[in-house]
Amino acid sequence: MMDLKRFTAYALFLCFFLATGIVSAQDAAPAVDLTEGETLFKNNCAACHNKNMKDNLTGPALGGVQDRWADYPRKDLYSWVNNSQALINSGHPRAVELWNQWKPTVMSNFNFSDQQIENILAYVNDVYTRVPVVAVTPGGGTAAPQKPNNTLLFLGLFALLAVVALVLARIISNLDYLAKVQETGEAPPRKTLAQILTSKGIIAFVVFLVVVLGGYTTVNNAINLGRQQGYQPDQPIKFSHLTHAGTHKIDCNYCHDGARRSKHSVIPAANTCMNCHKAIKVGSTYGTAEISKIYASIGFDPNTDKYIEHYDAMSQADIEKIFKKWFSDNYIKEKNTLDAEGELLVKNQWEDLVASLTNPGKDKVQGPIEWIRIHNLPDHVYFNHSQHVTVGKLTCQTCHGTVEAMEVVQQFSPLSMGWCVNCHRKTEVQFANNPYYEAYKKYHEEMASGKRDKVTVEEIGGVECQKCHY
Amino acid sequence: MKNKNEVWIGVEQLNNDPVLNELSNQEFAGPEDGLQITEKTLELGSSRRDFLKFLGFSLGAATLAASCDIPVRRAIPYVIKPDTIVPGVATYYASSFVQGGDYCAVLVKTREGRPIKIEGNSLSTITKGATSARAQASVLSLYDTNRFPQAGTMEDGKFRKISWEDLDKAVTGALNPKDEIRILANTLMSPTGQQAIEEFQAKYPNTKVVMYDAVSSSAMLEANAQTLGTQSIPDYHFDKADVIVSFGADFLGTWISPIEYAAQYAVNRKVNPEHPKMSRHIQVESHLSMTGSNADNRVLIKPSEMGAAIATLYNELAALNGATSVSAPSLNDKAKAALKKAAADLNAAKGKALVVSGSNNIGEQVLVNAINALLDSYGQTIDFTRASMQRKGTDGAIQGLIREMGAGAINAVFVMGANPAFDLPNADAFKEAFAKVPMKVSFANIPDETTALCNFVAPAHHYLESWGDVEPKRGLYSLIQPTIAPLFKTRQAEESLLRWAGSPNLKLDSDQPYFEYLRWNWQQKMFPKQSRFATFQIFWDSTLHDGVFEVPSDAGAVSFQGDVADAASKVSKPSGSELEIAFFETVNQGAGQYAHNPWLQEMPDPVARTVWGNYLAIPIFWDGSNEWQAFKGLNKEEAKGKADIVEVDVNGSTQRVTCVRQFGQPEGGVALALGYGRQIVGQAGKNVGVNVYPWCSIDANGNTQYYATSVSVSDRVEVENDFACVQYHHTMGVKGTDPKTNEVINVDEKTVMTLGAGYQGGLTDRTIIYQANLKEVEELVEHIHEKREEAKELNEKTLYPFDKYTENLYSQGHHWGMHIDLNACTGCGACQVACVAENNVPVVGKKEVSRHHEMTWLRIDRYFYGDYENPNVVYQPMMCQHCDNAPCENVCPVAATNHSSEGLNQMTYNRCIGTRYCANNCPYKVRRFNWLDYTTADIFPANEYAINGEDLVFGSDNLTRMVLNPDVTVRSRGVIEKCSFCVQRIQEGKLTAKKEGRSLRDGDIKTACQTACPTGAITFGDLNNEEAELNKKLKEELNYRVLEEINTQASVNYSARINNRDEAIS
Repeated sequence: MMDLKRFTAYALFLCFFLATGIVSAQDAAPAVDLTEGETLFKNNCAACHNKNMKDNLTGPALGGVQDRWADYPRKDLYSWVNNSQALINSGHPRAVELWNQWKPTVMSNFNFSDQQIENILAYVNDVYTRVPVVAVTPGGGTAAPQKPNNTLLFLGLFALLAVVALVLARIISNLDYLAKVQETGEAPPRKTLAQILTSKGIIAFVVFLVVVLGGYTTVNNAINLGRQQGYQPDQPIKFSHLTHAGTHKIDCNYCHDGARRSKHSVIPAANTCMNCHKAIKVGSTYGTAEISKIYASIGFDPNTDKYIEHYDAMSQADIEKIFKKWFSDNYIKEKNTLDAEGELLVKNQWEDLVASLTNPGKDKVQGPIEWIRIHNLPDHVYFNHSQHVTVGKLTCQTCHGTVEAMEVVQQFSPLSMGWCVNCHRKTEVQFANNPYYEAYKKYHEEMASGKRDKVTVEEIGGVECQKCHY
Repeated sequence: MKNKNEVWIGVEQLNNDPVLNELSNQEFAGPEDGLQITEKTLELGSSRRDFLKFLGFSLGAATLAASCDIPVRRAIPYVIKPDTIVPGVATYYASSFVQGGDYCAVLVKTREGRPIKIEGNSLSTITKGATSARAQASVLSLYDTNRFPQAGTMEDGKFRKISWEDLDKAVTGALNPKDEIRILANTLMSPTGQQAIEEFQAKYPNTKVVMYDAVSSSAMLEANAQTLGTQSIPDYHFDKADVIVSFGADFLGTWISPIEYAAQYAVNRKVNPEHPKMSRHIQVESHLSMTGSNADNRVLIKPSEMGAAIATLYNELAALNGATSVSAPSLNDKAKAALKKAAADLNAAKGKALVVSGSNNIGEQVLVNAINALLDSYGQTIDFTRASMQRKGTDGAIQGLIREMGAGAINAVFVMGANPAFDLPNADAFKEAFAKVPMKVSFANIPDETTALCNFVAPAHHYLESWGDVEPKRGLYSLIQPTIAPLFKTRQAEESLLRWAGSPNLKLDSDQPYFEYLRWNWQQKMFPKQSRFATFQIFWDSTLHDGVFEVPSDAGAVSFQGDVADAASKVSKPSGSELEIAFFETVNQGAGQYAHNPWLQEMPDPVARTVWGNYLAIPIFWDGSNEWQAFKGLNKEEAKGKADIVEVDVNGSTQRVTCVRQFGQPEGGVALALGYGRQIVGQAGKNVGVNVYPWCSIDANGNTQYYATSVSVSDRVEVENDFACVQYHHTMGVKGTDPKTNEVINVDEKTVMTLGAGYQGGLTDRTIIYQANLKEVEELVEHIHEKREEAKELNEKTLYPFDKYTENLYSQGHHWGMHIDLNACTGCGACQVACVAENNVPVVGKKEVSRHHEMTWLRIDRYFYGDYENPNVVYQPMMCQHCDNAPCENVCPVAATNHSSEGLNQMTYNRCIGTRYCANNCPYKVRRFNWLDYTTADIFPANEYAINGEDLVFGSDNLTRMVLNPDVTVRSRGVIEKCSFCVQRIQEGKLTAKKEGRSLRDGDIKTACQTACPTGAITFGDLNNEEAELNKKLKEELNYRVLEEINTQASVNYSARINNRDEAIS
């Protein structure tokens, strides 16, 4: 009996300790407003600064920023955030140091209050110092508000119950033993541990456990079969969405012009690229290496700025001449001479170009650039971009994440049916200003009378089978 | 023997045959081996150990599959994207479907640059936006794997590829300017093609065009030339006729311009309170044709009595009009009496009467013209202002060519789409003479019997890859434009001719020389004919956009001048033979030129409802005691999927043919379809049915006659176990007698009956067809009203009255519904093929159809009513009724079929596990189960099924799959599918409205069956839209729902069938 009490007390204590541990971790809020900090960061800073606060992006990683500015008055940091160029011009040593490190990238000016900056800094610090408990979604994008993590609590409870079960089993065994002793007057042999572990009950229990856990894991993994959230393949061209959509703020719809009018968002044709790259012939990151692949695909001679006639019939050797000349000319422009290093570079660039534009199913460099498709829906799913973009007025980022911050694009959303359906349950239909929805008279009446404030996609049939499967 | 109210589906029903009871009671009935798996599939007599092995294998396979990397899929954009193409958005191009004399103005739906569906072009004044089954199916022939890949030589029927340069060299090298050259074709309607031929003739002056049509209008053309002064087919106005008499002309199905005629015909057939008048249609014929099945009265004659019948009608009308009579051969008394009455009807409708004849006898056609002259039809129901160009071929021309070739007078023949080695009565004579021609070039793009005999093949484009123009009726032009780059290295026939002629007008350095040539010709010839557009470019762009161009016609009126006595002497004489056989063209196969198209092969013949073959139609009669018997007691087991094979001997040549029993055949007449039995046509059409052309004959005037009088039919020599007739598949509400109790029961729902009488499902008096004579419409309206009230009362007795529990359902948004006018439906089957094309419905082949496994979402049920010996027919398109209280939905264990808020009965393939409970519970029998892997969508080839013994399963290759609609899932084995009301079109229509920020308008969404229908029988719409056409139709008094009494709350409504039968005629 004493055993049981001691055990129970200990287990309860353990449980309490774990629970409070979790709660206190959640409640450890400083005087600043972390939520506001998070919102401000995501709206203003996240385009350039990495959300994990540890890695550089367009701008430096922000983790530990307060320590780095600890030698200067707090006010300097405020003015740095709000107007970095002014501080650089005033010759602030830390500011100049940063400028030399990061120029020519200029940080945007803001108009934050001191308190707001404090909030952001607190959020930065919070993220930076937070122990990663949950695996961050591979997209790394705007993570959904996380539920309090109950895993530890459950583990604690499980341990507690297991202990209780063990104790009870022990007690029963002891009582049994005592009873037998009383009955027969002599002590029967006690079961060894090995005997206990090989008893029918234990074996049955272990088998049961293996089947249940195995089944659970199998089902869960089977559900995930074919899903590829976080899929981030290497593309034939190291196209940077960060440069195009992030830095240069090119509208997604400019290149993906199908999204607003078709079921497909459409991978842009090479002639769309040429709209700009007829002029921009050398890239900021990879120089001539990547942009030349567009030229080799479409048949544009960057040396003469002219489209090549009968390009499709041209031999690879002739194409090689054109592009090797282009690569070496550019190398010479920079280094004045084509040294051995330059020759190697030219050779590598050409080989990379050929490798990128050909594959087992395509043997010439001419013709379409065969991108690796990242977002794949099963054939029995009908999805229409224009319904979501034009009618539903969703931003691309809702499903694709902050593509403008991705150097290499990856699949942000799981693209699972549950994910679609959940969104359809929550999302409000854009009733305003679209006369199509006048057919839903009752909803309009209810909204006018204040009986309802919104209509969700589900309420107009958005989770019915034949909205997506036909 | 008359029968007033009942409809019946076949002999078994009339005989109360218990076979039908069994058959209808089983939901998945079929022949006796119906539910067994074919030899090809796994032997499933497996033990427990086998089961464990399979289990282990599948587990292993699944593990392997799961551990593999995700396959790399590529997204391949354009290099230079055409402005007009947005991937994922369909583009429509106006063009024209032309196959010999068959014409239809079409809009071609293309997705990502590939044609996937044919729609009608509503700007055409000829076809008015309607289509036919043939036009609908034509898109599949574009992706035919049997097409010639490039130019070639033909030696002993073996094709060998050569380059076009070599072919051109060989052809021009062999031609001498003085050579006698013949261009052999079916009717050609292209003005620019004509121009090309003229240029060829300029280089080779001894070139002549030989035009003939396999199913010929030769006699009519000659008769018109003789008596009306114009060798052309007139413009008929079936819409202006109050009385129509047709002597064997199948004008709703196959005769000359059926799409046009069907639309005209329907105008005076749709009876409703606003339009209470109805035309009377009397069909004089020797087999039940599709047109005849729609007629009010049918006068049955033997094929050789046609001349007698026409002369008799002439004499009756002459007597009424004081004209001289002619000597008429004797006719059976029944027909004679009927024609006397018909003459009275016609005469009373003078000026609004129309007599047409499909006969190919010149005397008969002259008499028909004389009849029309007596009836003042010219200028009223017939005129030549817009004379039809759709039949130009004459039989004399091809027979003349055979003589010339036989005499060795011809140096070269260019075969342009014709197939005389198959479709002539004297094909053997043709082959023999053809062999004497040194230079033979075929422009065919798939192999055929004639091409196999040529030296060279210069394959032409499919019409969807071609440029061209057509003049189907005088002054009405229509353009053909390519909708895809040529799939193979083919070249237009006209371009080949122009190249060989060395035409200076053909710009050889251009990308598309024939396009430039066409434009040039239109600039010369067409542009000056109009004043609307100032520059040619605008004129061209506008015409190409519209697809059609019309100029006024200057043709004057005609008057009849002819020697009727001479004509009467030339008409066919009754043979006096006990048994005669008629040969006829079918809607799906034509003269044989559509044999390679599996969609058409699998479309049931409207009348016989058979697929994949031609079947000898044998008459049915009362045996005098207690049974309905077919000719010689044959085909007793049709309902079980078995038919008798007999030996048919015509003029001493014998072939084995499968029979099909047919109501409405004359007692001594059998009939068999033309165009089957092709030998060189690609695998799908090979050896399907028997070739009856050798049994046709040529009359004294050189015209082909499509009947034979010296016929004998043997008793059964063999049994066909794969009898593919869908008439007994998927029946509804068939009544029969319970052999045990002798009570009348509803055999389709026998199980329900045994559970206890009183259940609505077991009612024997079920609503399927309402029909009445025009005189009895008032009574019918009352009857329908009564029955609907009764049904309503029954439906309200349930514990959960529909109205009460669904008050708020469908009260806003959309609620889709459909209306089908049984008066307008002619049974032509255009809707059925359109549905197949739109919804990726698989083709399953003859064997599978015989096992009741046809996959069509829309079937056209055929019911007989009226006189047992010469019944009327009503066709009922039947598809998922989208019941708002659907019996199928309640029984699905996995909720794979359920109801949408818009009233659609949804079917979710990826959720279906194939229990087939839903199909079992569907009273309309419209759900289809994928028994085998018809679409080759599985990974296990054992489940695949070759439709006609192909090595490569039909539809499994990438070429054929290009025809698939990318918006519709391709179903795999083991799931149920059914009509979705074209949900992809509904979603697209709604999305377009949303994007344009406007309300959905009535007519924005049309289902595939609706757009294909030539008579406008189908109306689809939103029941919640008060203004919708659909709601107007639902208010009409003839409107009803099928099986209304069982509370399914169907969304599809039908209009009762009205006929204008004159009981005095037959």
